[in-house]
Amino acid sequence: MTAADAAFGAPAPRGLAGSPVGLLVRLVRRPEGAFGALILAVFAVLAIAPDLFVGPLQTAVTAPGTRLSPPSAEFPLGTDELRRDMLNLTVHGARVSMAIGLLATLVTVFIGAVVGIVAGFLGGRVDAVLMRITDFFLVIPTFVLALILTPIIRDLVGSGSAQVLGIRMTLIVIVIVIGITSWSSTARIIRSQTLSLKERAFVDRARVIGAGGGHIMRRHILPNVINLIVANAVLVFAGAVLTETTLSFVGLGDPFQPSWGQLLEASRTVGAPGLGAWWYFVPPGVCIVLVVFAFTLVGGALDDLLNPKRRGRR
Amino acid sequence: MSGSYLARRLSSALFTIALIVVVNFILFRAMPGSPERVILRGTPNVTPAQLEAARERWGLNDPIFPISFDAGGVVVSGDNQFFKFVGATVAGDLGYSFVARGQTVGDVLAQRIWPTVILFGLGELVAIVLGLALGAYSGWRRGGRVDLVGNGVSLVLYSTPYFLLGMALLLVFATGLRWFPTFGMLTAGVTYPDLGARLVDFLAHLALPLATVSLGLVGQYAIVMRSSIVETLSDDYVTTARGMGLSEGRILRHHALPNALLPTVSLIAINLGYVVAGAITVEVVFNWPGLGTLAVEALTARDYPVLQGVFLLLSVSVVLANLVADLIYGLLDPRVRT
Repeated sequence: MTAADAAFGAPAPRGLAGSPVGLLVRLVRRPEGAFGALILAVFAVLAIAPDLFVGPLQTAVTAPGTRLSPPSAEFPLGTDELRRDMLNLTVHGARVSMAIGLLATLVTVFIGAVVGIVAGFLGGRVDAVLMRITDFFLVIPTFVLALILTPIIRDLVGSGSAQVLGIRMTLIVIVIVIGITSWSSTARIIRSQTLSLKERAFVDRARVIGAGGGHIMRRHILPNVINLIVANAVLVFAGAVLTETTLSFVGLGDPFQPSWGQLLEASRTVGAPGLGAWWYFVPPGVCIVLVVFAFTLVGGALDDLLNPKRRGRR
Repeated sequence: MSGSYLARRLSSALFTIALIVVVNFILFRAMPGSPERVILRGTPNVTPAQLEAARERWGLNDPIFPISFDAGGVVVSGDNQFFKFVGATVAGDLGYSFVARGQTVGDVLAQRIWPTVILFGLGELVAIVLGLALGAYSGWRRGGRVDLVGNGVSLVLYSTPYFLLGMALLLVFATGLRWFPTFGMLTAGVTYPDLGARLVDFLAHLALPLATVSLGLVGQYAIVMRSSIVETLSDDYVTTARGMGLSEGRILRHHALPNALLPTVSLIAINLGYVVAGAITVEVVFNWPGLGTLAVEALTARDYPVLQGVFLLLSVSVVLANLVADLIYGLLDPRVRT
């Protein structure tokens, strides 16, 4: 505990649903929560160590198979037009899709939480301006904005082979663009919770003994909205994976680090649905649906746990 | 409807549209290459005189913003790039396409707007009718067979990107069963004996994209409607109606449905912005010649003026649709008119 804590009193009790660990336990006690968490755990393992299961990512040079061959004993998921094993590509796609989804979620939730807490706590003109901007992003088709922003930002930062955290710059730009365009609903949710929190007695007490706005927001508001942020982040993650997939599908992915969306784009370019080469797009497609489905289940379960009004209504 | 509600909704929509134009201006300035090159890239053999005329028309010799700083201090000037950009946008002048030589962005957009309006207008209509019906029924018979199956299917559909659904339908019904053509809006190079044959061909091409859009949307509408109905059915006035001995069907039709419909309608309007993203990808899968394929073609060719035109058109449409939804909501529900 810091000196400031001693002076202003310990951070306010976590109001909504106990500690994050307690929340997790209550989550996996619900069947849909447990099912979602299980799917996510499987994909998390694949994403962390793809080499362990299928070896390093195959390239056109190291590809072992024949062109667009259907599933066989040697290649259980068939091959693509560059003779690469679809199983290898799909498992490595998990890493790219999940990593971009995770980073984009962090950026999105950070912007949303800061805007929401500041707008809700400060109120007045700051709130009015921030909420106007939030509503703007809430209403407009942000995906179309992302379509324009991505190539422009890529031209600005240059497209070398530079990497951040082992991720190529082209994909980092996608992370940033998703962050810029999808924080608005998080900001709305956090703001409304902040509005009710700031009327509570512990905020008044902190203010009376001289705590500044920044301190109250960090030490008293934030701990009370953190569970809400976590629950929202789960839903944001689902959205981020979908947005990344869609952006890659229209040609903004990176062929050198293929995500599931990038694989789908490649399969469409080759004309896989027209050729009947279902094995090219069904594996990455099923993975995307499973991951988004799992995140939606977990997010919905968390929402129920944290929102007393909806409890028991399902 | 009170005047202040109307005024507030209108001013909010106008503000959003103004912000869209400002964002478009910033994007226009941030684009790689000098602005006059961006404006004239689609025109062949640019002469210096043309270049100067373009600079003059777009105010590129003037400061960027109305307020600028120089050695003498703050300069406020009506002649600036921002005002001229806004003026041109309001007048409908969106510049020239880089790719379609000599064509204005307005012309390019006009050629592609109807296929999108038809596909998404019909898709929304089918999805709203089916989604609301399915959601209302599952919410009413909560825990029943329709509810369990419908809820699961809705969740899976909700988690599926539209284009993936499109690819699956394409594989099964066009490539596999050969019931429908695989791409385009009309069969290429065919002359039709009469309008009826043309219509039949058009409908055959429309079937799969339309099914994709409707299926993609129906899941989320059903989920929203179901939770709205469930919420409504536990309200006091429903309990009162039950206590009065009204039949379940009457309670649903006259008490629960009208009230559950309202929040659903506004959620549908708010979600329009997201739906547009799906719109784009479905068109790409089926090569449907609408704004979505136009956006992706423009993206591939880095045809920024067209891309910006698509952004402007889609954003303003979504804002206006939201405004209409708000006004209808205000008419139907007196509580929000304050």
